[in-house]
Amino acid sequence: MTQLIAKPAAASRSESDWYDEKLPRAIRPHRSHPARTLASIFLVVMLAALLGISSAYLVIEREQPLNSVTIGPWQAYPKAGTSEADPYSVAIYTRGAVVPLASGEGLALIAREDSAGHDLDPTCVYRISGRTPSARLWTLTALDGRGRLAETLPGRVHLSSPNLLRDPDGSFEVTAARRPYSGNWLPLAANAGASDGLRFVLRIYDAPVTTGAALDGVSMPAITRLGCP
Amino acid sequence: MTLSPRFSLTVGLLATLCLAAIIHILVVLSIPKNVQHSAYDNASAYGADRQFNLLPDVRPGQEALPDLDPAMKHAVCRFRLSDGPVLFDASIPVSFWSIGLFNAAGETVYSLNNRTAGADRLSMLVLTTEQLSILRENPPENLEDLIVIETRDMSGFALLRAFVPHPSEAADVDTALKRATCGGIN
Repeated sequence: MTQLIAKPAAASRSESDWYDEKLPRAIRPHRSHPARTLASIFLVVMLAALLGISSAYLVIEREQPLNSVTIGPWQAYPKAGTSEADPYSVAIYTRGAVVPLASGEGLALIAREDSAGHDLDPTCVYRISGRTPSARLWTLTALDGRGRLAETLPGRVHLSSPNLLRDPDGSFEVTAARRPYSGNWLPLAANAGASDGLRFVLRIYDAPVTTGAALDGVSMPAITRLGCP
Repeated sequence: MTLSPRFSLTVGLLATLCLAAIIHILVVLSIPKNVQHSAYDNASAYGADRQFNLLPDVRPGQEALPDLDPAMKHAVCRFRLSDGPVLFDASIPVSFWSIGLFNAAGETVYSLNNRTAGADRLSMLVLTTEQLSILRENPPENLEDLIVIETRDMSGFALLRAFVPHPSEAADVDTALKRATCGGIN
């Protein structure tokens, strides 16, 4: 430090060594490099555009709005599709032209993982068991990873609560697999590979949880992986 | 004044991050204004405005609109309130039906199901505040029985969902949905 302070005193004796490297950096006069400045500004703008656009694309492409309510493996977005939705949900819903299930109609809960936290795989066999929140009607649908229906062996892609076999205590057990199973069978995509992805959508219609009552504390069915090929 | 290389690098990184955040926010906010097909546009593909158009059954590969329930049958009606108030009328003989009212941006304006409708028959009137004050001067006889919804959104669409408990009842649901009306007050 003492050396740095000493140097300008020595350098100030003549004007000719004004650009002297011995001057401390902070008071050394700026020698402009227009090409270098332009290049660095260009680099900053390009990097920022790349980062900003790719991060926005990733968030929107994930199709998981913020403000989700998570119950076990199930997620619901009660605010999405309303005027109170966050900008990400608005972008996701308008980009997909999705008509949301309105709060007076019902609530859609989406599972992308099983209860153990593994991603759902359409080649596996899953057991969906337990109870749903009380509702007049619910339906369970299997979608692929992009939210579309896939061709199944019997042509059916859903199960609905009135046509379900239940235990005496009201709980139920559904087997989701591509091959037929006894009991409640939810057919999965017949020709799907593991990379096609799988989502379960449970739509509960006219349920108290959709009309304001708190979603926490309600019981949702568990998703257990029984086996994979 | 000359900056040290480390300081320049830090400033550059900070500038990049701030600019990236601004671009991220701008991109997310601009998506709704730049979508090519909104749900409101898609709804016009199934028939004329101001009438309920039955959507084809929700089957793999032929989904009329994304994210519809394959257990339901749907009918959609697009309307513009500048053409006058819209009266929805339907009687669907199934255990569950519901109607959602959406504005042109796809946001929910109002929704109800057959239990909250309070009657087996759906009769709902959608209009603007000005249209309601005109209507009040000379009210139709059945105004008391109607569910009246005032809205500021000038255009929108309604989606009527009806549960099909069994494929054997599909034809009855189809007929009821085709008979549902969405039009002006007589």
